[in-house]
Amino acid sequence: MMDFLNLIPVTWLPLLESVFYALVFPGFIAILLLAFFIIWFERKAAARVQMRYGPLWVSKRTGGIAQLLADMIRFSFQEFIVPEGADLIPFVFLPGFLLAFSVLPTLFIPIGPYYSHIFPAGYTLLLSVAFTLVIPVYLVVLGWAADNKFSFIGALREAYLLISYEVPFILAIASAFLLYGTLNLVEVVTIQERSLPGIILNPVAALVFLIAVIRATGRGPYDIVEADSELVFGPYVEYSSLMFGFVMGVPYIELYSYSLLFSVLFLGGWAPITGVGFLGGLIIPGIVTFVKAVIVMCALVFLRGVYPRYKLDKAVRAGWSWVFYLALIALLLSAFMSRVL
Amino acid sequence: MTQEIKTIPFTYEALSQLKMSEGVLELQIGPAHAGSGHMRIVAWVEGDTVVKVDPDIGFVHRGVEKLSEDRIYIKAIPMVERPSLVDTVNANLGYVMALERLLGIEPPPRAQYIRVITAEISRIMSHLYGIAIYGIFMGSSTVFMWAMADREPFIDLLQELTGARITYSHIIPGGVRWDLPKDFAENAEIALKYLENRTKDYEKVWINNPVVVARSMGVGKLSAEGAIRLGVVGPNLRASGVKYDIRKEEPYAAYEEFDFEVPTFKEGDSYSRLLQRVEEIKQSIHIIRQALKRLPDGKIIYEDYYKRMSPLMKKIYDEKGRVKFTLMLTSLSPPKGEAVSRVEGGRGEMFYYLVSDGGKAPYRFRVVTPSFRNLPFFTHVMPGHKLADIPVIYGRIDYFPPRPIDDGLFEPDPRYLVAPS
Amino acid sequence: MSSEQLEKLSGLLGDTAKVAYNERSNLIRIEVERGELRNVAVQLRDYGFDHCSSVTVVDYPKEDLMEVVWHLSSYSRSEVSRYTIGLVTSVSRSKPEVASLTDVWESALFLERETHEMFGVNFVGHPDLRPLLLPEELMGTWPLRKDYQLKKKREDVFKKGGASL
Repeated sequence: MMDFLNLIPVTWLPLLESVFYALVFPGFIAILLLAFFIIWFERKAAARVQMRYGPLWVSKRTGGIAQLLADMIRFSFQEFIVPEGADLIPFVFLPGFLLAFSVLPTLFIPIGPYYSHIFPAGYTLLLSVAFTLVIPVYLVVLGWAADNKFSFIGALREAYLLISYEVPFILAIASAFLLYGTLNLVEVVTIQERSLPGIILNPVAALVFLIAVIRATGRGPYDIVEADSELVFGPYVEYSSLMFGFVMGVPYIELYSYSLLFSVLFLGGWAPITGVGFLGGLIIPGIVTFVKAVIVMCALVFLRGVYPRYKLDKAVRAGWSWVFYLALIALLLSAFMSRVL
Repeated sequence: MTQEIKTIPFTYEALSQLKMSEGVLELQIGPAHAGSGHMRIVAWVEGDTVVKVDPDIGFVHRGVEKLSEDRIYIKAIPMVERPSLVDTVNANLGYVMALERLLGIEPPPRAQYIRVITAEISRIMSHLYGIAIYGIFMGSSTVFMWAMADREPFIDLLQELTGARITYSHIIPGGVRWDLPKDFAENAEIALKYLENRTKDYEKVWINNPVVVARSMGVGKLSAEGAIRLGVVGPNLRASGVKYDIRKEEPYAAYEEFDFEVPTFKEGDSYSRLLQRVEEIKQSIHIIRQALKRLPDGKIIYEDYYKRMSPLMKKIYDEKGRVKFTLMLTSLSPPKGEAVSRVEGGRGEMFYYLVSDGGKAPYRFRVVTPSFRNLPFFTHVMPGHKLADIPVIYGRIDYFPPRPIDDGLFEPDPRYLVAPS
Repeated sequence: MSSEQLEKLSGLLGDTAKVAYNERSNLIRIEVERGELRNVAVQLRDYGFDHCSSVTVVDYPKEDLMEVVWHLSSYSRSEVSRYTIGLVTSVSRSKPEVASLTDVWESALFLERETHEMFGVNFVGHPDLRPLLLPEELMGTWPLRKDYQLKKKREDVFKKGGASL
């Protein structure tokens, strides 16, 4: 394979690598396969806790892992219904936007020391965080676009919830920035390789980050936006067919972006492994980072089987009381630790 | 804390005033909703606070009261069971008790004990169902699956006894239809021990779950005076501090021979209603154990009815312990008069009123299911809470909408329906 | 109920009420005239019968009257908690009107509403007499009255050549 790479003109290589990065791994195809896996894992784990089997029939020998593929095929044969009073363009196009924007942050997060140079490497942390914070705005528009009281209430709840977690999240990112002193994620991992993983350096920031992630993606006790028994399905209630598959998959892809960021910032990214070249510098450390992100995702997704749903006002209140205080403590801790490093 | 309970009348003027006021959204949490069961809850919300609630029931009203005027007495037994699907034995028992009071007969002691055993098993199943519905309304499907699965050992027990899973029609005037099978006592003990072990799991995962405590403590508070004024029944009444259980106040079917407590809680919020049901499950287990230990021998059908059985029926009774319907039972004509019976079902008090004019069918048959009497929860207790509290309160009164009779907490079990005919 | 308790109760109510005791059902049947209904109700409530278990009507078309029955019970007074009182008053079938007892017992709210839509008895003073259970096509037809015929009677359905299902 190295010979093959030698045949390509040198100037094309960065472009090809970027395309590979964006489309195959850790880009689009990897995300799709990961979505399959994580949704299967959530259903299976929840089922085991609940004394039942979970997905079983679709591919019996592998434990039903192709369930989501079967669901997607079924969705694509359903009729896409647009309610009469709905705002057509947001209603139809926003799920696609949501999907695109939830994948975007992963492009800015390096998964190996040999990172493509299309994007400004010096600001990768800032860019990825900025893109993750755009998504809830689309959700609010989505809830309004469907002409339904319940999705409207769901959109409002998303706005409230956004207020509650955004500030602690940014404070956690700020404390990470303070700790490492750089916005370049490759350098962040290099610092962690030299000393200790970020989770040991500043565990409070890691905790606040995780809490914000659960709220942002609506997992576990914070599926307030899509509260089943109160709002049927929140902003997504009017969707059918493939769009429904999209909006169901988007939270998981968001979760993946956040987890990738978490594993690079706090778990040391590709820490033990380093290398050069395409294979050693991108693929193998990439797999290490990827696996760490998947482990974080599995842990977060498992919470759904244990906790019921929080109430909105209590969630907002908690976000501005003890979570906020923890974020401030994380900031102070970072300031202290950055002197030590 | 005395609760201010006042009704906003549903007059045209009051409603239109409500509709016109800014910021009030009318939500129809209708029959096709994940959190409503077979009823429609029309809620007016201002922001996130519920201002007024109008329960709209009657979607599965079957007309038991009118239909029973057309049929012989014994045919009302399956009709009466259907409205309260999770707690069928108590519904059955209430009707048969009213009928026996009209007829002036008393079943033998063994039949009374068997009635108590099946009624308590039914109560356990009803409370587990209530816990399951509460869980799913709060968003945890774990407890839902667990509680529904934990009903299975008891359904199996009663299936061995009667052959049916839910509507047994086991109790008939004069006694019961089937005698306990030989291994019933061992199987029951296995099921009860299993449930006791599971209670520990529930306590760890659900009752002491911080999210559950945060969401249900202080929600849906109803004081004791409020509960008496609104006339609520069952575990909801006892969780508000009123110690009233018909099994103790007006004992029926051998309950006076058993030693059990009536738990009450002072707070009257959703969390204490949850705890109330768990405590009552423990008491039911205690009663079943006592009944199985002291089960008397004898016939399971009233002596006079036994004498009128044909020799073939007597042979079947002696060999298999099964009572076949004699001509006497199918042509019961109680003397002219009226009778009232009250039973404590899993969800609350079931009320039966039978008027007879000497004919083969009842002249008037009135059923009031406990969920019907728990309706004031919607109109009086819910306003003032947040929108997300509607399922919490609803689930905890164990309402069974289809039938206006439903117990409790929330179970959308409006068992009411049954009663009105 | 012991006879002293029964005497005390009927003494309390005076001549206006006719008291009868049904021992098997622990039921005390109290018959009053329409005019005295509310006074007797208030006296019973003050005696300790604090909630209403059921409201219903027994229809006697032959005598051209309907008997409205409130069944009451007591949560708070322990010596009468095992008894049920049946408070009965008769109304004429052509103009069935009776005072509503919701201001005496708030628990009768939904029960009276249901009785109204099933029998057509007007409870004067009830805050909300909208139909509760019936679908739109049956509202106002007072289905539980004896003269309301079910569309298919059971014998007709199973008789040979009878009504088709």
